[in-house]
Amino acid sequence: MHRVLVLVAVLISAASAANGAPPLRVVATTGMIADIVRHVAGDRAEVTGLMGPGVDPHLYKATRTDTAALMRADLVFYNGLMLEGKMTDALIRAATAGRKVYAVTELLDESDLLEPEEFEGQYDPHVWMDPPAWSRAIGVVRDKLAEADPAGADHYRSNAERYAETLRELDEYAQRVLAGVPEERRVLVTAHDAFNYFGRRYGFEVVGIQGISTESEAGVRDIERIVALIVSRRIPAVFVESTVSDRNVRALIDGARARGWTVAIGGRLFSDAMGAPGTYEGTYLGMIDHNVTTIARALGGDAPERGMSGRLAAGE
Amino acid sequence: MSPLHPPRSTAGSLASLPEHSADSPLAVHAMTVAYQRRPVLWDVDFDARPGSLVAIVGPNGAGKSTLIRACLGLVPLAAGRVEFWGRSYRQQRRRIGYVPQRETVDWDFPVSALDVACMGRYGMIGWCRPVTRTHRDAALAALDRVAMADYANRQISQLSGGQQQRVFLARALAQDAELYFMDEPFAGVDAATERAIVEVLRELRSRGRTVVCVHHDLQTVAEYFDDVLLLNMRVVACGPVDAVFTAENLRRTYGGRLTLLDEAGEAVARAARGE
Amino acid sequence: MPATPSTIAGFTAQGATLDELWRTLTLQAGYNAAIVVLGATLLGIAGGVVGSFIVLRKRALLGDALSHAALPGIAGAFIAATLLGAQGRSLAVLLPGAAAGCVAGVLAVQAIVRWTRLRDDAAIAAVLGVFFGAGIVLLSVIQSMPTGDQGGLASFIYGQTAAMNARDATLIGAVALGSIASVAMLFKEFRLACFDREFAAVQGWPVGAIDLAMTALLVVVTVIGLQAVGLLLIVALLIIPSAAARFWTERLRVMLPLSGAIGGLSAYLGACASALLPHAPTGALIVLVAGAIFAISMTLAPSRGVLASIVRLLRLRVRIAVDHALRAAVERADGARAAQPGRALTLVLRMGGHARVSDGRVELTPRGAERARRVVRAHRLWERYLIEYADAAPSHVDLSADAVEHSLSPALVADLEDALRKRGLPAANGPTNSPHPLDSGQQGGAA
Repeated sequence: MHRVLVLVAVLISAASAANGAPPLRVVATTGMIADIVRHVAGDRAEVTGLMGPGVDPHLYKATRTDTAALMRADLVFYNGLMLEGKMTDALIRAATAGRKVYAVTELLDESDLLEPEEFEGQYDPHVWMDPPAWSRAIGVVRDKLAEADPAGADHYRSNAERYAETLRELDEYAQRVLAGVPEERRVLVTAHDAFNYFGRRYGFEVVGIQGISTESEAGVRDIERIVALIVSRRIPAVFVESTVSDRNVRALIDGARARGWTVAIGGRLFSDAMGAPGTYEGTYLGMIDHNVTTIARALGGDAPERGMSGRLAAGE
Repeated sequence: MSPLHPPRSTAGSLASLPEHSADSPLAVHAMTVAYQRRPVLWDVDFDARPGSLVAIVGPNGAGKSTLIRACLGLVPLAAGRVEFWGRSYRQQRRRIGYVPQRETVDWDFPVSALDVACMGRYGMIGWCRPVTRTHRDAALAALDRVAMADYANRQISQLSGGQQQRVFLARALAQDAELYFMDEPFAGVDAATERAIVEVLRELRSRGRTVVCVHHDLQTVAEYFDDVLLLNMRVVACGPVDAVFTAENLRRTYGGRLTLLDEAGEAVARAARGE
Repeated sequence: MPATPSTIAGFTAQGATLDELWRTLTLQAGYNAAIVVLGATLLGIAGGVVGSFIVLRKRALLGDALSHAALPGIAGAFIAATLLGAQGRSLAVLLPGAAAGCVAGVLAVQAIVRWTRLRDDAAIAAVLGVFFGAGIVLLSVIQSMPTGDQGGLASFIYGQTAAMNARDATLIGAVALGSIASVAMLFKEFRLACFDREFAAVQGWPVGAIDLAMTALLVVVTVIGLQAVGLLLIVALLIIPSAAARFWTERLRVMLPLSGAIGGLSAYLGACASALLPHAPTGALIVLVAGAIFAISMTLAPSRGVLASIVRLLRLRVRIAVDHALRAAVERADGARAAQPGRALTLVLRMGGHARVSDGRVELTPRGAERARRVVRAHRLWERYLIEYADAAPSHVDLSADAVEHSLSPALVADLEDALRKRGLPAANGPTNSPHPLDSGQQGGAA
C-alpha cells in the first residue's frame, strides 16, 4: 500500500513536470489546419478538429457542440477565404465574444492567391493544395501560439521548422513524380474546382465539374463540355473526391464512352478533407502524398505505389 | 291497408309488438348512434314496408341523415343492428341504392352528367374493367328517366342545383336497386325537378321498390309518401301517413322548435288528411 | 463545325448556335444531354399523370409533405447502413429509405387528421416541418460521423439532374410506364374515390385501399424524382402540370393525358434549356417552364381562362346595353320619354346594323326594329310572369326583368308566351302593354 502511494506520487510529479503549464485549448476547423497545429504545438496544446474525414467544408454547419468548443477555446484557427462558408456566423460570434480567432491564410498576400473568373473579388480558398504556399500557414500558427503561450515559443519554432522541412520534401517529391506526366496528359479533371493551386504549382490544367464551392449545381452543358474536352484531348483518367458525390464524374465517363473514348477513374483524391484519422492518409502529408501519387500514376507519370516514403495504403 | 309491424315507441301510442319481419327490406333494431359521447340516435327501431315510400321527418339535428348513414355503414353504431331482407348490409349491397346530399361533393370535378350516372353501374362492373356500351346505355336511360338525357355531356358544375340532384338520382337508378336511401332529395330544387323526382318515386313504387327518404317539407309529406317516421333522436311515431301524421305527433316531434303556431300545425295535419 | 478547342475555357466560350439548339431538341447533342432530356421528360409525364389526383382532391400539399418527409428516411437509411458496415451512399440503400420516409409522412398526416380535430392543411404543414427538421438534424449527425462516404447526401434536396445516368433514366421510364398503366387500369376506381368517397364506400369499394394505391403511386414517383429534380422541386412537377391541364378541359379522361403531356413538355424544354445554357440548374429550369405553361393556360384557355371570362363579361355588357337602347327606342315610339343613346353605343348599334343616324337622331333599321321587338316582347313577358307568379310589386319588376331576360333562351320565351296566352293575355306580335307606367324618365341605357 505504501509503495503504491509512492508510485502514484512519482507519476503525478512526472506528469506535471513534463507539462509545466496546462495545455492550450485550440480549435481548428479543417483537418489540414488541425494537422499543422498538432505538429507545431505538440504536447502543449489540446487540439480539436471540427470537420472529420468526408466532411465538405463548403457545406458544413456548426452544431451546438462546435459552438461550445469555439467558445471555450484559447485559440481558434480557420481557413478563411470563405471556405467555411456556412460557419461565418459561429466564427464571428466567437470573435466578438473575445476568443482569439485567426485565419491561417492571412499571411498570404494577393500575389499568392488565385482569383477565379466567375467569382470576382473572391479568392479560391483551396490553398493547402500547394505545399509551399501552405507553409505560410505554419508561420501564422506558430506566431499565434507563441503569443498565447510565450513559454513555449522555442518549442513552437523548432516544431514549425521541422514541419516546414517535411513540406519541402513533399514538394520535391511531387515535382519529381509529376514531371514524368507527358505534356498532353497534364489535365486534371475532378468533381469540383479544388485543385487550382495544385495546377498552378505543378503545371496542370485543372477542370472541376462543380465550381469552387460545392454549393453550385453542375449543369448539363458543363458536363457535355468537359466530355468534349476529355475526348478531344484523349485524357485517360478522371478523379473522384472523398467529400463529394461521384455521380457527376460517372456521368463524364458514360458520356465519353458514348463518344467512343474510354476514360477510367484514376483514383479517389482528398480534396477538402483528409483521410480517416489514425491512418497515414489522415495527415496532411499523407493526404498530399496520396493525391500526388495517385494523379501521377493515373496519368502516366512514374511514382512508387506506396508513395513518398512507402507509407501509403496499398491498393488505393 | 295491410297490417303494420309498429315499433316499440316510448310514446306508447300504438300497439307495442317489437317484431321485425324477415322480408322487410330494411329492419332497424334498437339502433343507437353517438357522436363523441353525445347520443344522436337513441334506441331507434323501425321497419320499412316493402314497396312503400317512407319519409323520415323531424327537426334539425334530429338525426335523420345520421340514421340513413348508419344504415349504410358510414357511421358506426354504438348499439343495435340493421338488417336488409334479414341479412347484413355487406351481403345485400347490390340491392341498395343511395342518393346523398348535394353538398357532399365537389361539383367542379371534371366529370359529365353521364359519367356520374355511370358511377351507379360501377358495382356491377368490378375491378379494373372499363365502362362498356351496355352500362353507358343503362346510365343514359337512367338520365332519361329524370329528364336529363339532353345534358348527358355537360360538366356538372354547369348544371343548376335541381339538375344536379336529378343526376344524383339517375346514378342511383342506374344501379337498378330494390331499396333506395335518399337524403333530402327535394331540398333547394326548382318546381320542375320536384315534379320529376316525385314521378320517379311513384314509378319505383309501382315496380315494388322501397324508398326511404329524409324529407324536410311537412306540407308535402302526405302527398308524396305512404309511410312516415317521425324522428327526434328517438322514434316518436312510425306508420302510415294517415294514421301517424297527426298534430299531436307533430307536436311531440317538434316540441317547442316548431315555428308554426299550434293552429298552423293543426291546419297542416288536417290538409294532410284531406279534410 | 468550329474547330475543337483545346482548353476548357475554349469550350465554355462557345455560345449556343441554332444548329446546337436543333441537335439538343432531337437528342443528338451528346449522350449526357440526351439521357437528361429523356429521363426528365419521362419523369414529367409520370408526375403530371399521378399528380392530377391529389390536385383534384385538393390535397396538393400532400405531395410537398411527402417529399420533405423523404429526407429523414434518406438520412436514417444512410446512418443505419453505415453502422452496419455497408456502403451508405448507394441507391439501393437510399431509395428505400426515402420511400420509408414518405410512407411514414403519409401515415402521420392520416393519423393526425383521424385522431385530432385538425384538418388536412394543418396536418400536412405539421408533418412537413417536423419531418424535414428531423432530416436536417440527422444530416448534421452524419456530418460528425467518422465516415468518408457522405458527400452528396444533401444533393437529394436540390437534385443532381445533370448527372443522370442510363440506369436512372431506365428506372424513371419503368416508373412512368407503370404509373400510366396503373392509372389506366384503375381509372374508374380512382375517379369514383376522388369524386364521391362516401358513395364509393356505400357501393362496397375499399376506399382505404384505393387511397393507398394512389398514395403508393405518388410515393414512387416522388422517390424516383428526388434524384432528378430534388425534393424541393418534385412537388412542382406533381402539381403544376395538372393545374394547368384543368384549364383546358372539363373531362377527366382528357385531363389526365393532357397533364402528362404538359409535364413532359415542361421537363423536355427545361432540360433542353439547361443543356444549352452554362451553369444552369436543370430542376429549376424545368419548374420555370412548367410555371410559364401554367400562366399561359390560366390566361388563354378558352372557357376557363381569365381572358375568356373577361371577354364573356364584356360581350354580355355590350349586349345588355344594345338591348336597352333598342328597347328605349321602341318605348319612345310608344310615347315614353327616353334619352338618345350615347356616342359609343350609337357606334355599336350602327356596326351591328341595328340603327342609323339621320338628322342627328338615332333611328332603327328594319333589322334593328325586329330585334327591338323581340327584346321588348321578352321583357314584357317576363314582367308579366313575375307579376302573375311571384310577389314582386310592379314598379320593381322592370329592373329585375332587365337582368334576367338577357339570359332567357328563345325556347323559354316561347314557353312564357304559351303560359300567358292560356291566361288570356295579349298575343306576341305587337307591343304588349307594359304593366307599369313608361313615363318615368328612364334612361335608354348608358353606353
